[in-house]
Order: sequence, then C-alpha cells, then structure tokens
Amino acid sequence: MSEDTIGQVQQVCSVRVGATLYGIPIAHVLEILGKPATQPVPLAPPFVGGLVHYRGEVLTAVSLRRLLAMEPASSPEDVLVFESADGPFGLFVDSVGEVLNVSAADHEPNPATLESCRQALFDGAWKMKDRLLVKLDPARLEPMRLAGAAA
Amino acid sequence: MVASLPGNQRLKFSASLSDNESVDELTREFLLESQEGLDRMERGLTELETRPGDAELLAEIFRSVHTIKGTTGFLGFGRLEALSHAGENLLGLLREGRLAATPDIVSGLLALMDRLRGILRSIEASGGEGESRRDDAAMIARLEVLQALEAPADAPADVSEPAMSAASAVPPNPVAGRTRRTAGKMPARPAAGNRQKPPRFQPRSPLPITAAEAGPSTAIAAPPCAREESDVCSASPAAAGASAPARPGNPPTPPAAETQPAAAVNTADSTLRVDVELLNRMMNLVGELVLTRNQILQATSADAGFSLLGRRLDMVTADLREAVMKARMQPVSHVFSRFPRLVRDLARGLSKQVRLELEGQETELDKSLLEAIRDPLTHAIRNAIDHGIEAPAVRRAAGKPAEGLLRLRAYHEGSHVVVEVHDDGAGMNLARIREKAVEQQLVPAQRAEQMSEREILQLIFLPGFSTAAAVTSVSGRGVGMDVVRTNVEKIGGKVDVDSRAGHGTQLRLRIPLTLAIIPALIVRSRGQNFAVPQSALMELVHLSDGESDSRMEWLENSALCRLRGRLLPLIFLDRLLQQPARDRNSPCDIAVLNADGRRYGLVVDGLADPEEIVVKPLAAVLREIGFYAGATILGNGEMALILNPGAIAQHAGVSLTSDAEEAGLAQKHVGLDDYLVVEAGGRRAALPLETVVRIERIPRSRIEMAGPHPVLRLEGALLPLDDAAAAAGAGDPEARTTVVVCRDAHRQIGMTVSQVLDVTGGRQLEEAGTGAVAAGVTLLHEQVTGIASLAGIPALETEAAR
Repeated sequence: MSEDTIGQVQQVCSVRVGATLYGIPIAHVLEILGKPATQPVPLAPPFVGGLVHYRGEVLTAVSLRRLLAMEPASSPEDVLVFESADGPFGLFVDSVGEVLNVSAADHEPNPATLESCRQALFDGAWKMKDRLLVKLDPARLEPMRLAGAAA
Repeated sequence: MVASLPGNQRLKFSASLSDNESVDELTREFLLESQEGLDRMERGLTELETRPGDAELLAEIFRSVHTIKGTTGFLGFGRLEALSHAGENLLGLLREGRLAATPDIVSGLLALMDRLRGILRSIEASGGEGESRRDDAAMIARLEVLQALEAPADAPADVSEPAMSAASAVPPNPVAGRTRRTAGKMPARPAAGNRQKPPRFQPRSPLPITAAEAGPSTAIAAPPCAREESDVCSASPAAAGASAPARPGNPPTPPAAETQPAAAVNTADSTLRVDVELLNRMMNLVGELVLTRNQILQATSADAGFSLLGRRLDMVTADLREAVMKARMQPVSHVFSRFPRLVRDLARGLSKQVRLELEGQETELDKSLLEAIRDPLTHAIRNAIDHGIEAPAVRRAAGKPAEGLLRLRAYHEGSHVVVEVHDDGAGMNLARIREKAVEQQLVPAQRAEQMSEREILQLIFLPGFSTAAAVTSVSGRGVGMDVVRTNVEKIGGKVDVDSRAGHGTQLRLRIPLTLAIIPALIVRSRGQNFAVPQSALMELVHLSDGESDSRMEWLENSALCRLRGRLLPLIFLDRLLQQPARDRNSPCDIAVLNADGRRYGLVVDGLADPEEIVVKPLAAVLREIGFYAGATILGNGEMALILNPGAIAQHAGVSLTSDAEEAGLAQKHVGLDDYLVVEAGGRRAALPLETVVRIERIPRSRIEMAGPHPVLRLEGALLPLDDAAAAAGAGDPEARTTVVVCRDAHRQIGMTVSQVLDVTGGRQLEEAGTGAVAAGVTLLHEQVTGIASLAGIPALETEAAR
C-alpha cells in the first residue's frame, strides 16, 4: 500500500461484524454514531442498510452485513461516518471496538483464494498477534461505487 | 470632485501594480455594478422603442453607460472604455434630442451592450478583457455611422471649447503616463471610424493627457460635448447628476432625472450584498432550528410551565424563518427584465410583430428558484414567438391584429408562485401533435388514438418532441418543452399547458415559494413514516374496520374506490414499496392525491399529524428509485421518506383526468352544495363547506368561559364556541376535542364536534305540497341531515357594540 511505508505504525478503528474483526484507518472516520435510530428505505439497492440522522442531514448508510450476504443483525448496529465525493455516508457494523496500532510491515494483500465479492471490498489484512484484522478501505464502500459495481 | 481624486489614484495604482488581492475585490465589485448597469440599460433600450422620445428614459440609459465608462477607466480596461465611450457619444446625441431613437440605433446599442457583457464575462473568467480589438473598432465604427444620421454637422465643434477649459482646470498628475499608454493602444479607432464628421476628432491629440487625471477615459475620448469632461472623473451616478446643472450648452433635463441618482445612493447605503452561500447556510440552520423546535414542542406539550416558553420559541422561530426566507426573495422582474430584449430580437429575426406585456413583476420568489425558472421561461418565450404567434399577414387574414400579444404574468397562489406565458397565436394543433408523436415513435399509434385532449397536449413535454416543420434558428430542434418540464419539476414545480386552436396557448409554471420547507401530511405504512406533500393532497378518506374491503372494488388486479360517484384508482403504498402486505380488512386511510392532473388514492395504514418538514436531499443511489423526493426528520425525531406523488402515479400508469371529466365533475356539483359532515352530541350535522376555515384538535381544557359563553383563544384572538360536543368529554381534563372553525359573515366562530365524518354534496329538500326549499336541512348520503346554524352562536361583547 502506497500510503504505508515499511515499519510505519498506523492507528485503525476496529469494528466487528459477525465473528470477523475489521480495521479502518482512523483518518478516514469522520464520526462514530452509537446505535442511532435508523430508517429502512423500501426498494433501495440491497447494500443500503437504511438512513441515519447525522448532524441535521439524512445519511445513507451501507450495511456491511448485507454486502457480505450475511444474516441481518439481531441487535441495533453502530454506524461509522465517512466522507466521499458525494458527501458523507454511513457504514453499519455490529459494533465499534477499540483503536488499534498496526504496523504497515504486518500488512498482506488479499489472498487469491478469497471469494470475489470479498476481494472487491477487502483491502488485505494485518497480521495481529492472535488473529487477522481485515482492512477496509472506505473508498470501496461508497454507495455510488457499490451501485456502479452492482449494475 | 477634486476631493475624490486621491482615492481614484490609489485605485489606478493598485491596478497597474496588479496587486491581486485588492484588484480582485475591486474588479468583482465593478463586475457586479456593471452587470446591473447593463441590465438597466437593456430594459431601458427595449422600452425606448415604444417611447422613443422619453427624456427620462434616455437619461437613465445614458447614466448606465456613463457609469461603466467612468469606472472602467480606473481599472484600466481599455476595450470596455473605448466601447462604452462610443455608446455614450451616441446616447448623448439621443439624450439631447439631436437624434431620434430609430430601431437601427436601438439595435446598434443592444449589440454594443452584448459586446460589453461579453467582455465582462471574460474579465470574470480570466481577469482580462480578451483580445478582439478589431471587432471593437468595427463596433465603434457602426455606432459612429449611426451618429452620422444626425442632421446638422456643426453642433460638436462649438462645444469642444468648454471641454478644453474644463480639462485644463485640473492639475497634471503622475498617472498621466499610464493614460498615454492607453491612448497609444487605440490607434485603430480613428482609422476605422467614420470620417464624415471631422470636428468630433479634433480635440484628440494633446487634450486628453491634460485631462487624464480626471480619469483615463478621457484619453481616448473624443468628446462631442463638454459635460462629459466635467463629470468624467466621478464614477458615481450621483456625482454625475450633481454636476449636471453646470453643463454648458446643454438643454435643461427634467428635474426628475436629476434627483433619481441621489435616491439610488440612499438605497445603496441601506442595502448590503450578501453571498448566496451564506444565505443558503442560514436557511439550513433555520431548518435545523425548526426541527429542534418541533421536537421541543412535542416533548414539552404536556408540561404547562414549558408551554408558554415553547410557544414563544415557536413564534420566534417562525419569524426568523420568514425573515431569512424574505432575505432570499427577489422580485421576478429580475428574470422578466431580460425578456423585452429577447422578444424584440426574436420577433425581428422572424419578421413578426410581438407586443410583450409583463404583469406582477413585483411578485417575489426564492433566489435559487428564480434562477431555476430563467431557462424554462426563455424556452417558453422562444416557443411562443416561433410556433405560437403567426406572421402579421397570417394574423390579419385570421381577423386578428397584426401585432401578436405575449403576456407574462406572475402571481401568488397559496404557497406557490404561478408564472403564466400566454400568447394569442395559432394555438396547438392537436391532430398534428398526435401525428408527430407517433411519427417520432414517442407513443404507439394505438395509444395515441385513445388519448384525451389533455394527454395529447402533455406529449409536447416528451423528450425529443418537435412539431416544427423546419429547424429554425430559434427552435425546432426537439429540445425545449421537455427541458422546461424537467427544470421546473426539479424544483418541485409543475408545468401545465392549455391551448385553443386559433386563440393561443397558455403555459403555466407553478413554482413553490421556497425549496427548503414544505407542509406535508405524515402517513404510516407498515410501521414506517412517509411524508406526502400537502400540495398534492386533495382529501382524506378513512375506511374503518371491515369497511375497507367493502368500499374497495376490484377490476382484475386494479383496486378502485367510489368517491362521490366517481371511480378513483387506488395504489397501495405497501405493495408499491414491496413491504409485507397488510390484511385486506384492516382499517386504512386513503389519501386522495392529484399529481399533475393524475388523480388517485394512496392507501396507507394510518395518518399522523401534518407537519412542516425540512426537505433533506437523498443520496444519488436512493434518488434513482424514483418514488422519493427526499427525506426529512420529524418532530418526534423519527425520519420519514418524502413521497413523490407524480412519480408514483406515472409508475402505476394512472392516466390524466381529461378536461371533459373535470368539466363533468363541475357540472355534477351544480345544484349540489358541499358539506362537512360532523358528529356532535350524538347527532350528525352538516356545515356548509365554504364556511369552514380550518379544523383544529385541542385539549378540552383550553376551552374557557366568558360569562355564560364558551370561548377559545386561538392565535391571540378570541373565538366564540358552540360547544356542541360538550357532553362527550365533560369531567375528563385530558380529553381532546375537535374544533371546526367557521366563517359566519365577518366573524369567525368555532364548533366543537366529536368527530369529522366526511365531505359530501347535499341536495336541497322541498316541502311536500308547497315545493318550498326547506331551510336548515339537507340530503346527505340519502339521509336528512340538519345544517348547523352558525348564527345561533352568541356574539362576543365587543367594544364596538357598547
């Protein structure tokens, strides 16, 4: 990854969806909304989890569970807010965890064996002591881009 | 005049040093002012054709050009200066009455104006004037040829003398060098100029340099008369006016023309230019405040201590919103003012005679909306002149005056502004539209045959539609009406067309007053909120338990409902949105909507209160669904999607209500009066609908007694009440009641009712034998129903009555 020089330590926000832990560089995260009220949008593309209220605006939020073709969450979800060229958008995750320090040296690209829908979303993974932390790139989660990919 | 010099010099210096910061600011200011000046000039010039001798008008046009010329010199824009100077010369002759404003002269001046506008655009885009001095020279030559039409050739010679003395009266100054350079850059002009009148060029060589400190404009100025020298150093029209009485050899101008500039300065002092971005932000913030207010009002409605504060917050917020909205309002004349020119040019180009009438120019509209209707209106006008209004010979043959009439009218209608474009031309040929639409494969031939008159007229809004036999320079390229409709719908407006063969066409644009906040009814479907814009809402029908199945009728898969004898197509919101289906028998509400002439009933699970909602845009991926016009946050903090009734109707294939049907509907109402049917005190009663002002739901505790009579305080006024439903909630302080506010002659009174049942038409009843119309009763739904007597409610004791 071009932005990670070897040995550089980066802070990532860890989020959990299902059993997997994902990491998003905190520089990308505008805000974290804890279990906000959401509004489903009938007839919306499947990846849209719903609308959330964010600072007076109505934000379209993408559901990571839906993107990964997982069962809907059983309890209210947290929302991360990212900036895109189209304005801010949200990402539904099961829960937001702590901020972790990761080293660029530990980052590995996606394995070739990963199924294609995940290939497109994941941006490799960091090798942590006891597990893998999957890297998410918010740019790949922008609603417009996902809509383009679906079409 | 001398006092203003240091400032001017500073401007000049900073311009030549190209100190970017200050020049940018100055230039921007200059661009804005010049644009306004040119707008004024354009208006004036087109008016001039109808009133060629109007001295006041000429003075105003002259001032506009003169101001541009004056300012332009300080900033060192040579092209602008040379051009405006040439225009000023010509206008000077006009103003002095030595030339008459012929159409050729007006055309010449309009062309000059376009050139000036072009240069301003170039300055705005690149900071420079651009290079096409040769064209400028041609333009100046053209203006000089026009000047040559003047009868006596001796006039300018005698005024050059005072010019000289005025110029020499001012001391030389250090900037003269720059001025000389400007002069040197303009050699083309005298060469290309018309040499028929040598005296005009006489004062050229040494004089301008001495006069330079009065503004570089004089350097290239070939003054036809001295007063330009005397006031040229001041950029402001006020100073120009002030120096006017000193003009040598000038015919006295009417005093009105002299006082006007002073008034202009006063307005300038009390007004301020504000960035539209800032206003947009203010509008957004006010929107937020409205939301917060709604939430506070809901949260505190139970608390008596808070309700007063809440009400005050409510009032202040409403006032603030209105003030911010007002700040964004501009009269439609801002857009209309461009049209006289457009109409003139189009009519001349097509050899037609068109008179333009503008009405309601003072009608105000949100700035962004005003911008948005500029193009649609321009299209509509092009169409009206190209396709609508016939050539003079054709008109005369049809028994119409040779001059066609194009009328633009703006007026308020509720929370909308209507702009009508009316022409008295040939009208639209329905058969031709049908034929062309089929030919251009916009509709299948079979469908076209079945279309009603109104539907055929709507075809002109289809993309690619054009009936023009030949593509003219004006229209007929198949872009036009669809652009009009798309642009107007984009801002939540509607377009309507009405046309009568031989009598003309009328296009109606219905524009919401403001974009940001709209009144809406909140409906619920499968546990979710949706907002329906009130503008589309006609009425509400409630179907109670069990009734829903019996009142709905099915034709194959389409559900219909009988409403006052007419079949209304129904659209189930849950099905439309593919939500889990509801039980057919459960109670439901039907919102009867009229979306651009498409009438249908939207079936929803339930209704919540109407609210003023702040429209929030949706992300592009959700806009594509098409059924949603946006989203909003409700007073209770929940979100709601705003439905787009027009898109839903189109998707479901609801056809337009034909004119004939509507006429039939109106017919049916003759002999029938509409009544609001209410239940009060266990009885049904009818209130004549035209007397009903509004319906309010209030807690019973708000009803107070004034002596023996129940009254209600509503919006600061006292409303006498007929507490017909008194028994219903007696003893229970928490109970709520419905108050129907009615108009009874000049007063308003209220009537408490337990329930509002329906709106329906009632027939008169006649007494058996005599045939006399019975008073106080009517036949509703085949039931004799008493009409509530409003006059029976005692009047309040008033000061006047004492």
